[in-house]
Amino acid sequence: MTGIWDHISTFFSAENYTLFVVSIGSGILCLAAGVVGTFTYLRKRALIGDVISHSVLPGVTIAFMLSGMKNPLYFLLGAILSGLLSIWIVDYVQTKSKLKPDTILALVLSVFFGIGIVLLTKIQHSGNAAQSGLDSFLFGKAASMGMFDLQIFCVIAIINILCIIIFLRAFSLISFDENYAKGLGFNVGLLKSFIATLTVVTVAIGVQAVGVVLMAALLITPAAGARFLTNSIRIMLAYAGTFGFFSGIFGAFISYSGTGMPTGPWIVVVLSVFTLTAILFGKRQGVFVRIRLRNSNNIKINNENILKDIYKASDGGEKSLKIDVLIEKEKYLPGMLKGVLKRLENDDLVDTVRGLIILNDKGRIAAREVIRKHRLWEIYLTKYFQLDADHIHDDAEGIEHVITPEIEKELIRLLDRPTKDPHKSEIPY
Amino acid sequence: MNKTIIEAHNLTVLYGRKPALWNVDFVLPEKQVIGIMGPNGSGKSTLLKSIMGVVEPTSGFTKIYDQELDNVRDKVSYVPQRQEIDWDFPASVWDIVSMGRFQNKGLFKKLTSEDKDIIADSLDKVNMLGFSKRQISQLSGGQQQRVFLARAIAQQGELFLMDEPFAGVDIATEEMIVELLKNMKNEGKTLVIVHHDLHTAQSYFDHLVLLNTRLIATGSVKDVFTDQILTDTYGGRLTTISKISQELENKEFPIRHK
Repeated sequence: MTGIWDHISTFFSAENYTLFVVSIGSGILCLAAGVVGTFTYLRKRALIGDVISHSVLPGVTIAFMLSGMKNPLYFLLGAILSGLLSIWIVDYVQTKSKLKPDTILALVLSVFFGIGIVLLTKIQHSGNAAQSGLDSFLFGKAASMGMFDLQIFCVIAIINILCIIIFLRAFSLISFDENYAKGLGFNVGLLKSFIATLTVVTVAIGVQAVGVVLMAALLITPAAGARFLTNSIRIMLAYAGTFGFFSGIFGAFISYSGTGMPTGPWIVVVLSVFTLTAILFGKRQGVFVRIRLRNSNNIKINNENILKDIYKASDGGEKSLKIDVLIEKEKYLPGMLKGVLKRLENDDLVDTVRGLIILNDKGRIAAREVIRKHRLWEIYLTKYFQLDADHIHDDAEGIEHVITPEIEKELIRLLDRPTKDPHKSEIPY
Repeated sequence: MNKTIIEAHNLTVLYGRKPALWNVDFVLPEKQVIGIMGPNGSGKSTLLKSIMGVVEPTSGFTKIYDQELDNVRDKVSYVPQRQEIDWDFPASVWDIVSMGRFQNKGLFKKLTSEDKDIIADSLDKVNMLGFSKRQISQLSGGQQQRVFLARAIAQQGELFLMDEPFAGVDIATEEMIVELLKNMKNEGKTLVIVHHDLHTAQSYFDHLVLLNTRLIATGSVKDVFTDQILTDTYGGRLTTISKISQELENKEFPIRHK
């Protein structure tokens, strides 16, 4: 334990200057990428992040070849220009050819990356001593982050956040319905270029820290997780930024705790954990929410089925019923039946006294409701789908639990409040 | 005939080299319900999009009230095809209908309480007020269509261009839309509607544009809705059999009954 606490206290005491810079820097970079990436995600352009990040490589290498030195500003300029060029080519080819979007993305990505690698290899074999470390653009080198990088990250994060706050309406509008935005008379092309530029600049800045291979993950992963947690675009942006920020910090911390562990990949691993957690536990279509829903549906189905059986076996709740008789008649597992009866008793629908079940008034009403829905559905099927009377029972066994009060009302109206089902049984109202 | 609201002159739109619209000429009267009809891929949506400036015509032009679109944009509301949209977007019904006020407000000005009244009123007109906080991903096809109509109504325009508002909606919504169109027409609005279903055309529309890449015919329903013209429009396949297949195609719509 003390080992971990030592790590943490060293980490946050900021005594270790490098570590402080690297962790805060990573956090802020990921925050900047997360918010701007939310729109990349919402515009269904997740793969464009990959295209941009791979496409900055030729720009970086050409910047080095022209200047002959490793000036981060030249690199940045080259990266931004070739990133923008790649997006422009994607859009141009898309309007001028019949190629599918994913084909175009894959082509542009590989062509740019291929050129980048060729140039990089050429530089490495040129014998220029200044070139060493240029390959950090491939996988990133967060550990070499300096105060200057941190300042740049802060600037881009502030720019991204401000632009998104100011242009939230415009960005949401073009992400949801581009044609409508055009119809309203807004300059959609300009707005799209604006958001693309923000994305390219963010990627170009981040590539040196995490590398071209992982940069796309910083854009898309936070948004993908955030989407599972909310239905509001503002909250989604906040989540994406927060996920990014803490992934950056934790990723840096973990890579610091082990020896020789790379920062960029750890950031992505932490991000993935955040996203996976959101997918599992998110209240919007999260896996666990769906499992819970399925379980509660099963409980409802069991409750209603047994309530119905009790109602029928007790002549409509007129007389008491022996639990053993019910078990024998319907072949229930005794343990299961006891559990359901307990629930029904808790819901105040039945009373069980010394092995006897008595349906009370509330239970009678509930049971009649299930039977009514069952029979209404049977009538509906025969009337609208020309099904024979012997084909409808199984269907209704399932659907009787699904029909909501609104749908029931509608069925009654549609079928003109019928009195008998197709098997000539009475419909209890 | 009423005053002209839309004029198309030699309108041609090419997608690559394939013409989607080819030398289309017509004038449309205002304050009418106008149907744009034709088989699949006959350029109906493209026509609306080029009137709205969403696609650029390759040659020719359209004018509204004898003006360029940009001068009269605030009078025109566009209802895109709802199937072209991904509805799994983090927004509520209210958020979407608010977009109808953005033309008036621009991209930065806050919505005033007057705007909010207009939004609420528009939602009420399509019976969706109770759904205003609902997430759009949870809506049925018919409800999505109502939201799009409410958004267009919130623009408070004079001319409405609607792309297949009846496609894939339930009967209740279809009846509601028909009623709404009638009311809007009585208020003096002009409605231009891309439509698919031949057997409702006569009851829904006053005026028709029949397209099959080229213009086949345009005029009042009673002049244009003849067997000969329909045969021309639908490539000579409008026999009893093709009427039946049209029927079947419509029956394929998923939400005919709830």
